[in-house]
Amino acid sequence: MRNKLLFTGLIIILFFSIIAILAPLISPYNPSEIDADSLLVPPSPRHLLGTDSLGRDILSRMIYGARISLSIGFIAVGIALAIGLVLGALAGFYGGLIDALIMRFVDIMLCFPTFFLILAVVAILEPSIFNIMVIIGLTSWMGTARLVRAEILSLKEREFIQAEIAIGASDFRIITRHLIPNALGPVLVSAILGIAGAILLESGLSFLGLGVQPPTASWGNILIEAKSTLGVAWWITIFPGLAILITILGFNLIAEGLKEKLG
Amino acid sequence: MENLLEIRNLKVDFYLKDQVVNAVNGVNLDIGNNEVLLLAGESGSGKTISALAITRILPSTARIVSGSIFFEGRDLLALDEAALRMVRGARIAYIFQEPTSYLNPVYSIGSQIIETIMLHQNKNKLQARQEALELLELVKIKDPQRVLFDYPHQLSGGMNQRVFIAMSLACVPKLLIADEPTTSLDVTIEAQILELLLDLKKRFGFSLLFITHNLSIAKKIADRISVMYKGKIVEEAATAKIFDSPEHFHTRELIRAYEKIGKL
Amino acid sequence: MLSYIIRRLLGIIPLLLGITIISFSIIHLAPGKPTTIQQALNPKVSLEVRERLDKLYGLDKPLYVQYINWLGRLVKLDLGRSFGDDRLVVDKILERIPITLVINLLSLFFIFIIAVPLGVKSALKPNQAFDKYVTIFVFLGFAMPTFWLALLLMNLFGIQLAWLPISGIKSLDFEYFNIWGKIGDLSRHLILPVIVSSIGGLAGISRYMRSSMIEALAQPYIYTARAKGLPEKSVVYKHAFRNAILPIVTILGLSIPGLLGGSVIFESIFAIPGIGRLFYEAVMMRDYPLIMAEVVLGAVLTMFGNLIADIAYAYVDPRIGYKNEK
Repeated sequence: MRNKLLFTGLIIILFFSIIAILAPLISPYNPSEIDADSLLVPPSPRHLLGTDSLGRDILSRMIYGARISLSIGFIAVGIALAIGLVLGALAGFYGGLIDALIMRFVDIMLCFPTFFLILAVVAILEPSIFNIMVIIGLTSWMGTARLVRAEILSLKEREFIQAEIAIGASDFRIITRHLIPNALGPVLVSAILGIAGAILLESGLSFLGLGVQPPTASWGNILIEAKSTLGVAWWITIFPGLAILITILGFNLIAEGLKEKLG
Repeated sequence: MENLLEIRNLKVDFYLKDQVVNAVNGVNLDIGNNEVLLLAGESGSGKTISALAITRILPSTARIVSGSIFFEGRDLLALDEAALRMVRGARIAYIFQEPTSYLNPVYSIGSQIIETIMLHQNKNKLQARQEALELLELVKIKDPQRVLFDYPHQLSGGMNQRVFIAMSLACVPKLLIADEPTTSLDVTIEAQILELLLDLKKRFGFSLLFITHNLSIAKKIADRISVMYKGKIVEEAATAKIFDSPEHFHTRELIRAYEKIGKL
Repeated sequence: MLSYIIRRLLGIIPLLLGITIISFSIIHLAPGKPTTIQQALNPKVSLEVRERLDKLYGLDKPLYVQYINWLGRLVKLDLGRSFGDDRLVVDKILERIPITLVINLLSLFFIFIIAVPLGVKSALKPNQAFDKYVTIFVFLGFAMPTFWLALLLMNLFGIQLAWLPISGIKSLDFEYFNIWGKIGDLSRHLILPVIVSSIGGLAGISRYMRSSMIEALAQPYIYTARAKGLPEKSVVYKHAFRNAILPIVTILGLSIPGLLGGSVIFESIFAIPGIGRLFYEAVMMRDYPLIMAEVVLGAVLTMFGNLIADIAYAYVDPRIGYKNEK
């Protein structure tokens, strides 16, 4: 049962990752190529998932969109993970004033509705793929930090860490060799959920026109047109949305499977 | 039938995710009227599960596979839920190991005792509260008036065990099942609680099934001892005989453990 | 209990300071003066507006002076004027709050009356048919992009079936309806937004309630309740439920930032004039005073939400207040 969850999730993510990597090879059209002769064409053998109002091939845009959406997810979480691991480890290991300051900072960051914070920053530093990744990363590390801190606090009491401290191992060695590797299980689960969250955020931002900017395709910004073509071109709404849904589902299944496996 | 309780060939299995684990394997147990039977054994030997099986309050993964449990002449295993509920709390009551976690943290002491009284006796709330107060006095709780409104976390473990005893005796049961009731308490409190139990037993005339892994208590309270090992009763005799001539190796182990503690 | 509340109230002071410092630093994120970027991105902004912005933030002064001045004005709720229409930011926000509040409170209400029973029912028979259906719903709910759900519902109920309006909160002829007509019209407009804003919470809370209830049902005091002879209904709904529902109170506070963030999306899609849409418009227009005000507002609302949830929790759980008195 638990392996089934993990397996299904992995298959889904592997599928989308391969598509993203092979995008230039498998994409039937240039994703930005405008074709004035085939505007809003429904799914057909020529355009498997139809075209948008500029005649661009939806399938091709989605294939390239997978690249953007997935890489934003992975890189944003990479950034969040790095910050969360460092701050959480420092807080958990040193305790005292450092801990108090870092945790207060976490509390403060948690007060901001992430979406508000991201939108405010996007308003100031124009939206770009790079900015989106960094901003999502900078606003979603708090959970990791708390988790790492809690894990380290409980690990610190264990004998093998006490032994390391007793023989005078350096703080850096204890933190990087023992504490962080031992805290990785739960952190991995939360990181995978984080990727799902980041992809959802990016798609929402792009849908509002404040994320990835056209002509670069992302699953969210293909959907911008969905609203104006509602009831006219169902394929523009259905396919990118399904891609997001299934991808998020995939990551969530992996996380759930891992969670049960780790106990 | 002379005995108050007669358990015959009781088998309980646990149905886990991908396996069936046998916990109690053909237990036979008799308790006479007014008798104190001590059920001894290491943890995991199936003592607690046997005790919970008597009124079928087992964890959801456990199933009683076979056996019969005669109590006051009726087979409890043949009763339906509704009939069994009239027995639980009224004829057979329990006290447990960690009183504080066995009391509901979000209800006051008073309301938990009153609930039991009103469930089995035809009394209104005012009468039930009066009785709860008397019960608390009976178990020698100071300032019962205040304790009635306290919550379990506000009392010590020993106090909570007294509360628990009061609650269990509310309906004057014929059988009190005490599952390691003093294990989580320190030694002075343990002595007080045991004394209280024997006192109340004299007064109310119930039988006591006392479960423990610690034989040091036995001489003080038990008429007879049954020793349980890996889901089976391996030895059963009067208290003195068990200590004088233990037969099963596990009995000897338990006695040795007790003697070791005695020497400390 | 009282000392606990006072301590919590004092605890928000550093939090408030932190919130304002972070909010304040956002405006200074940009390289160069914010006003110059402002102008580059939005050519409509005149030189006069730029000067006013300079004055509002006192951008010629040292950073800490700027912050203290800004904080001083913030305390007096002087948030400046909107770049868009030159109205006071406070006024613009105040008139937009009610509708957002109504929708979010309705969502919370529906989330609780639906998710709690779902979670309890799943917990009573875990891994059986009902629980499995709920689990599938939960996973879909977690994975569903809200704006996509909004598009699907708009298409189905607004366009294909033409049952429900898909935009705004009232019809054009709203003024001509009697009171019941007005309420009916408003409700019809709110159905889809409320569904969309509830879906994530519905999935989350039902999952949470399920595990909370499973945990409560395995607690020792449940054996006591059964041993007393209580019927299973009392065991579940009196003894387990009361314990299981307590932590949900905290979730209420924690869900506020998500709800506010979600408001931006669904208010934009459904053209609902709340603070979410106001924020979106402010971002599109680079209306800094409005953006800043909303960021601070969002954080302060969240903070008070958490505070209220904590106090409510301490109130309903007899263990908390006591622990802190000791």
